[in-house]
Amino acid sequence: MAARVLDLTLHLLDRQVVDQDGGLVCNVDDVDFLVPDDGSPPYVVELLTGPAALGPRLGGLLGRWWVSAYQLLGQRHDREPDRIPYQLVTDVGSAVTVARTRAELGIHPGEDRAREYLVDRLPGAGHESG
Amino acid sequence: MKKVLQVTLGILTAIGGFVDIGDLVANALVGARFGMSLAWVVIVGVIGICLYAEMSGRVAAVTGRAVFDLVRERMGPRTALLNLVASNLVNLLTLAAEVAGVALALQLATSVSYLLFVPLVAFLVWFVIWRMPFEQMERMFGLAGLALLVFAVGLWQLGPDWGSLAHQAVHPSVRSGEGHPTYWYYAIALFGAAMTPYEVFFFSSGAVEEKWTKKDLNLERANVYIGFPLGGLLSLAIAATTAVVFLPRGIAVDHLSQVALPTVMALGKVGLAFLIVGFVAATFGAALETTLSSGYAVSQYLGWQWGKLVRPRDAARFHAVVLVSLILGVMLILTTLDPIKVTEYSLVFSAVALPLTYFPILVVANDPGYMKDKVNSGLSNALATGYLIVITVVALAAIPLMIATKAGA
Repeated sequence: MAARVLDLTLHLLDRQVVDQDGGLVCNVDDVDFLVPDDGSPPYVVELLTGPAALGPRLGGLLGRWWVSAYQLLGQRHDREPDRIPYQLVTDVGSAVTVARTRAELGIHPGEDRAREYLVDRLPGAGHESG
Repeated sequence: MKKVLQVTLGILTAIGGFVDIGDLVANALVGARFGMSLAWVVIVGVIGICLYAEMSGRVAAVTGRAVFDLVRERMGPRTALLNLVASNLVNLLTLAAEVAGVALALQLATSVSYLLFVPLVAFLVWFVIWRMPFEQMERMFGLAGLALLVFAVGLWQLGPDWGSLAHQAVHPSVRSGEGHPTYWYYAIALFGAAMTPYEVFFFSSGAVEEKWTKKDLNLERANVYIGFPLGGLLSLAIAATTAVVFLPRGIAVDHLSQVALPTVMALGKVGLAFLIVGFVAATFGAALETTLSSGYAVSQYLGWQWGKLVRPRDAARFHAVVLVSLILGVMLILTTLDPIKVTEYSLVFSAVALPLTYFPILVVANDPGYMKDKVNSGLSNALATGYLIVITVVALAAIPLMIATKAGA
């Protein structure tokens, strides 16, 4: 996407991330940006997502608890958020669109577990209900 | 006919929101205690929900974003989390009461204790969410809920003194023997019932499930302006039947069978048959609405894939939330807690969550970055701002009034 001036809080933070097929991927829980030394304008490097990114934004005890609960559920051993390189972003509108599929982004440990342990064990999980 | 069927989303949302188990009893109770002197609250509530449901549906049609997306974007993750916890608590209480409500309606038909029906009803709710296409679901329960129009027919057959009913409605006064705080407590409960947050969660998410776009805005408006006034009309008809039959005799209403009594007096067994179909459809519809809303709100807050359009395995966490909510609701009801008391309380708690839900809708509906030329008109902004003030006052007054009146005792 061509360079565009963004208000991070207004245009990026807490927006829905949508994949190239219109599937819902995650929310933008935080943003990593760089301020160049030469005084040129700061730019966004990566979108951060997942409890390790959301926790610090909730702040305080609740935020720490949020991250720890996630670790306890065994989804992660580190406290690193998932990252989506900003080069993949093709559009910033009412949602942030990225040029990959959900499977390619591979940032869904929670979704995978819910599918594996619960939903796939129920009959009809693979059929659309419409 | 096809056009007629397309307004069923609005009808189901409104019937589930206005005449679910709590409202059926609340309206009947209010009619028996206060006559039509609280009718104005229903009308104020209908206008309010029309305004905000229209906005939420319009935003969903234009941008594909449902209400809880907006709550998080505009209120930030902390405040939105507070709203999520409050709304989902209300949702869970309501969902529990609705499942019990379907079971109570079946008890009315069979005299078998409602507790025995509860697990079966909950399974059916889950099954409908798991398997039935969204559109089919909304048509089946929305249209069957129209059987409740029998209340209006019953009222007419009772041959009431229309002048006196109208007088009570136009010149509201607190009857002797009732305190002002109690009157206002029920006013808040009725207002909360009209504007419960799950209605906009469900309606806006339903608009996305129905794949509405900018081209469907007329359809969206038709849904709002037909569905919600219809729900309000049913509320008024219920209150009027008990105002005619119970008020002069000083009988208090606290059970579903009493809600049915005036209509059965007027129309006999046929009336009862229609009522039971209507009760089951409306409470089952409300159970679907609240269960789905729990899943919608959590998924939208966290950015998960949600909805009935995709295969359940592609929205695994959404379906997990739906299933867990239902199980918690059933457990709550099987403690033999009075389901009607549960909704009465949940209505008042939902009043507290109202501003956090409606404020972001108003903000986004005015954001040209989202809405382009489909932003609010000046008139709807003026009205919506007025309502926001009312909603905030109601939210602040709800809990103190509940404590002061011992929940309307």
